[in-house]
Order: sequence, then structure tokens, then C-alpha cells
Amino acid sequence: MKRKFNPGTVLAVIYWLIFIALAGLFFTNDFGLVDIHKTSIITAIGIDMEEREVQVTAEVAVPQPSQSGENIKYTQVQGSGLTIADALNEINAKTGFYPKLQFCKLILVGESCMDTELFQVLGCFYRKNYSELTALVAMCEGKASDMLANKSGVSQMTSEAIRKVLSDESEKSANSSSASLKKIATSEYSYSHSCYMPYVQVSKPGTSQNGGNGDNVGGESPDGSGGGNGENGGGGGSSGGGAGESGQSGSSGGDAGGAGQSGEVEFTARKTAYFSRGDFKGILDEQQSFALDVLKSELRVAVLPCNADDIHYTLGLKSVKSKIKLSVEKSVPQVKISVSAKAQIQGARVKVEPKKVIRDDVIPSYVLDSAKKVLVSRVSSLLAACRESDCDLLGLKDQLYKFHRKNYDELNAELLTRAEVTYDVKIESVT
Amino acid sequence: MRISVRQICFIMVAYTAATKLLIYPTMLSWFCDGAIIFPALINFIVCGAVIWALSFLCSKTDKTFFGLLQNTFGEIGARIVYGFFAVFFLFAALLPIFEQKQYVHNIFYDTVPPLGVFMPFFIFAAYAASRKFGNIGRCADICLPIFAGTMFLLFIMAFSDVKADDFLPMFSVPATTIFSTAARTAFNFVEPCWLLMFMGHFKYKKGDAAKITLSYAAGAAIVILFLALFHGIYGPIAPSRTFAVARISLFFPAIETMGRIDLILLYVLEVVMLFAVVINLQLAVHAIAKCSGFENYVIISLATNAVFAIILFIFDSRYNAIVTLYSQWLWIAFIVFTVLVPALAWTLRRRTR
Repeated sequence: MKRKFNPGTVLAVIYWLIFIALAGLFFTNDFGLVDIHKTSIITAIGIDMEEREVQVTAEVAVPQPSQSGENIKYTQVQGSGLTIADALNEINAKTGFYPKLQFCKLILVGESCMDTELFQVLGCFYRKNYSELTALVAMCEGKASDMLANKSGVSQMTSEAIRKVLSDESEKSANSSSASLKKIATSEYSYSHSCYMPYVQVSKPGTSQNGGNGDNVGGESPDGSGGGNGENGGGGGSSGGGAGESGQSGSSGGDAGGAGQSGEVEFTARKTAYFSRGDFKGILDEQQSFALDVLKSELRVAVLPCNADDIHYTLGLKSVKSKIKLSVEKSVPQVKISVSAKAQIQGARVKVEPKKVIRDDVIPSYVLDSAKKVLVSRVSSLLAACRESDCDLLGLKDQLYKFHRKNYDELNAELLTRAEVTYDVKIESVT
Repeated sequence: MRISVRQICFIMVAYTAATKLLIYPTMLSWFCDGAIIFPALINFIVCGAVIWALSFLCSKTDKTFFGLLQNTFGEIGARIVYGFFAVFFLFAALLPIFEQKQYVHNIFYDTVPPLGVFMPFFIFAAYAASRKFGNIGRCADICLPIFAGTMFLLFIMAFSDVKADDFLPMFSVPATTIFSTAARTAFNFVEPCWLLMFMGHFKYKKGDAAKITLSYAAGAAIVILFLALFHGIYGPIAPSRTFAVARISLFFPAIETMGRIDLILLYVLEVVMLFAVVINLQLAVHAIAKCSGFENYVIISLATNAVFAIILFIFDSRYNAIVTLYSQWLWIAFIVFTVLVPALAWTLRRRTR
């Protein structure tokens, strides 16, 4: 039987063909495809203030046509303006890419930004979904542009090397306080009105700081001016039985010099910059930062040095759980800080005896007591810094508002100074 | 062309939730901070009650809403009411289309795409709106499993970064703010009108009222959970985060290493969202056909979508003004059409004169 020509069927087919073709536009960027070899992607930016102007340095990944594995080149491009958006516009005019920061994973804030309100500086990133709030934020020693210009032996991409020391894993071992755009904003716009971010420093590779006690990481500064953060050696651990006196002495001399000549550096972020209502308040030292991590982060393994019976021990803390509980009794705020952890000996400045190593998981009580004292001293040092700067890093005002709303107006202003703090620290052997 | 109760239930679950995942959560946090859930609950309870009343009414009569109106006010009266509903559905479709356009441009593109890339939507919408209720039902059959799968995975990805105490203190926001927020966001709730239009187009069996109402409750529960997650993740900065559905999974640990794998889910979910947006156009075309007596759905659909495309082209940069128009004035009309009119359907004459 001969089929009849059906115009309806033909129209339907044409309709669907057009629909499928145009649906391609809907789900892809066919009309706006960007040739990746002709563009560049911002992977990190550094922010400095220069005479009330923002100077933005972007680390840009420029894909190179190559048949070998090394096909991405990283370079720095700078722009400036009254706002970050102005500066980024200049950068994007230079790089030829639409100014979105979807691939920007790190934002470094230079020391020159200390005098400017933090969220005025970073405001651009929170507007109109300009970038995802997953990008890590850190303050750095010196200029952010200089920091991004450093070369690292860890990665060809400087920002990646920095991100490694700011990673979640680093935070879980209390070696840095990782902070994302979201984390600092939720903290700042909470009732605590305070936030913190890691403070990045550089040192020559292959060097280490003398007089360390396990907290001190770093070494000679790249300009050869000596111990990068030596002033903090054992600073916060006043009750730690002179913990700062002994410790690592890293390689130096020829090796360091060689590394220095190649221009490579190492990054550390053991200190923490903190802010209240957007204003820079100070930098927590390594011990205070450790305490902050213990109280605010979920730790997996943290290293706590302590001295007991004239022997220096390095304890590994596992299953660290912490809680900050605020209660109000007769208009007096009571803060109870509870920390519990399982500990095992990771190192001791005594000759190792193979038959005794098996007992490392059973720690003598006097060592545990010393560890508790060190931890309490670090937390109290942190609280002292908070009181001094009226910066509620522990989120007490937020707790006051959420759980004791009726006392909020009365206690909010003087909460940090009036709070009576008690500690409940339990450190036990792993077995 | 008839629709089944199962399909209506699917619509109540999937489309109810799919239409509230973009701007609605942001708007709620903007209006009433941490009390984001309460205004939504109020709206869902009110609409749920209306949906129950309507589906129960379906057990009392086989007539369509048009038939009931005809019975009560005569042919002309019924046509006039349907004319109002046609206008209502057009307005109900307008804002979600603008939302979708903004969403697609902002989330699916790294660059700024031209307006033209969204225009194929109208080809799809023109086709879908030219079909009758049976087609709406079949689309719902496809959409529910897609919706359930993608939302389940997105919820799993979102749970990793939720802070539960951001909702405290629970009752710090004044009741007046909560109720005014519920009223001003009422334009997101059109579901009772969908059921009103489906009246008489499905065969009611015992227990169907409960099924439909519970399906709506399930859709509401998904939205409430979604709102809770969204606010739990972003807390005080939630009012600045638009397109909530694309934001809740960002902090899933695997995204750091694997990239935006959640975008695959969002692409899939977009299919459901498009059908959910189009249902208002489909019902608008139905209402126009009934009102005018001109039953050629193809022509009406083409004309309607052409007008919408022109509106989008002209008012593309006026999105914020359109949202303001809805949240300041048009919510009143939405409450009238989605709550009062469906509730008054009980007063219509069910027996033929």
C-alpha cells in the first residue's frame, strides 16, 4: 500500500530537529565556546593595599599547546583600582577572559590590608555570585604579590603549594586553621562578629627553626635574615616545663643556601590572623593557633609536645573532642571548656629501647598531667588574646544569643571579660 | 484527554518542590533570617488544606471546574472566570521563566552567554503547552524518579556542612514578620490551582483525596528539608546566596578533588524544573482555550510563548523589578486565586440544573 504524504509528520520531524539542535545551545555554550589555548584561568589572587587603592595580583594558568605533559604555564598578572572588581577588570583585559573567578581556589590577603576593613576588601567575592565561596582565604606575611611570586619545590603552581599547607588535612592535624570565604563570612556575620584565617609565611627550603618544640615550623627567611618565627618559640607554652628550649634543629648551611639560590621557598601557616567586626586584631602564635584548632576544628591527629620528669615527650593526640559550653548563673557567664583525647607517645628525647616501644601506648600519668597542663596553658593563652582584643573567636557571643537570648543584651558587651572559665581536660592513653 | 491520580500525586511531589529551589529560599532568608522554615510551613499548611478540600470535592462530583462554574454562573460566567485564571497562570509562569533564565545563565555558563541561548526553552514550552492533560501526566511519570534520585544525592552532598544551631533561637523572629513573609512569598504557591484545573479530568476513587494531600505533604517536606539545609549551610549569609539548589552541594568534600560533579545532578534536575515551569503555561493555554472557545491549543501555545519570549527579551534586565512587583503587589492576587477561589469551589452548584 502506498503511503500518503503527511505534512503533519514532516512538520513534527522538522520541529524536533530544530528543538534538538537548539537544545544544544541551552545545555552547552556552543555560541560562546572559548578556545582554551587562547585564554587563561585565574587560579589564585593576592590582594594588597597601595595608597587606598587595591592592588590585585592574579596567578594565571595559561594552557600551552604541547604534546608533552608540561602544558600549563603559570604567571602573575597585576591590576589595581578602587575596588577588587576594578583591578580584576584590568587583569581580565590583559588576559582576555571574562572576569569570573570560578577556578580561583585561593585568596591571599597581604599585610598591607590590615588597616582596611576585611569585608570591604573581600566584598567583591560575596557579590552576585562572583566566585564560589569555597575558595580558601589566608593572610600572608609581607605583600601578597610577593608571596604569589615565590617559587615552590612542592608544586609548579605557587598557589597549590600554599593550598597544601592550608588544606583540610593540615587543619585536621592542627597545623593550620583552614578558612574559606564562606567560613569567615558566616563567622563574621554571626553574633560573635569575629573571624580568623591562617597566616602564611615563607622560609628557605631545607631550613628549620632552632629552639622549636614541635610547634615551630619554618626556618631562615628567604632573604637570609635568620629564624623566620623564632620569636614565638615556646611562647605560649609557659607551663609546658620549658618546652621551647629543646627540639628540632633542622638542616641549614650549604643545603639551605643552595635552595635559596634556586629561588624556591617553603610555606607554612602555623599562625592565625584574627579579626573582629572586620578589623584586624592581631596574629595568634603557634600555640594559640593550636588551641584554636583543638577547640574549633575536627582533629584527627595532633601533635602536642610536653616535658615531664626532665624528658621531652611528643604526644600524638587522637580522637580529639572538644566542647565549649556557655551557661549563665546569676547573671555571671560561665564557660566550660572540655577537651578529651587519646594520646600515644610519638617521640621522646631518650634512647629508644625496642622492648619498651610496645608500651608507648600506655603513657605514665605524670606525662599525661604535663600534657594537660600544656593544653590548658595554650587555651588560656588563646582566651587572654581574645579578651585583650575583645575578639570572640570561640563564638561565645553567638552561643549567648542562641541559647541565652534573655541575657544577651545584658552580657554581650562584657561577656569575654566577665566570663568565668573552667577546664575539663581529659587526655588518656590510647589503650 | 485524562490524567491519572498517580500522575497528579507525582506532580504534587516533584513539581511542588522543583519550583521552590532557586530564589524562594534566598527570599525567605532575606525577609526573616533564621526563621526561614516557618513562613514556608504556613504556606504549605494553608495550600495543603485547600488541596485536601479540593480533592475531597472531587469525590462529590465528576464535573470539571469549568463545568461547576457553568452550572452556577452559566457559560459566560464560566468563561469569564477562566479568563481570569488564564491571566493568573500566565503571571504564575512569568516569574519562574525569568528565574530559570537567570539560573541557566549564572550556573551553567562560566562566561556571559547571549540571551539567545535561553530561547530554545520557548520551543520546548510551545510544544509542551500545546498538549493536553494526558501529556502533563506522562511528563510527571518521567520527572518523579529523576527528581527523587537527584534530590536524594544533592541532599547527601549538602549534609556535610550543615550547622544546626543557626536556627536558634527558634522563635526570635516576630510572628508578624513570619506571617508577612508567608504572604509576600505566596506567589510561589500555585499548586491548588493545578488541582482545580485537573478536577473532572481524573477518575476519583476512595482514598484519592488522602493520596493527593499526602503527596503534597511529601513535596512540602522536601522543600522544608531543603530550606533547612540551605540555611544550615549558609546561616547569616544565606540572603546573599541566590540559586540555592546550586549552592548546597558546594562544600561536599569530593568536589574539592573531583570538581563540580554536582553540576551533573543539576543538569538532570533542570529537566524536572523545566517541566515544572511549563505546567503553568500548559494550564494557561487550557484556560485560554476554555475562555475563548477557540480550542486549537497549538495556535494558542505558539502565540503565548511568542509573547513570553518578547517579554523576556524586553524585560531581561528588569528581573529585580519583576521580583519586587510580585513580592509587593501580586502576592495578593496569588492568595485570592490559590486559596480563596479553590476554597469557594465548594460553594459551586454540583447538580445540573
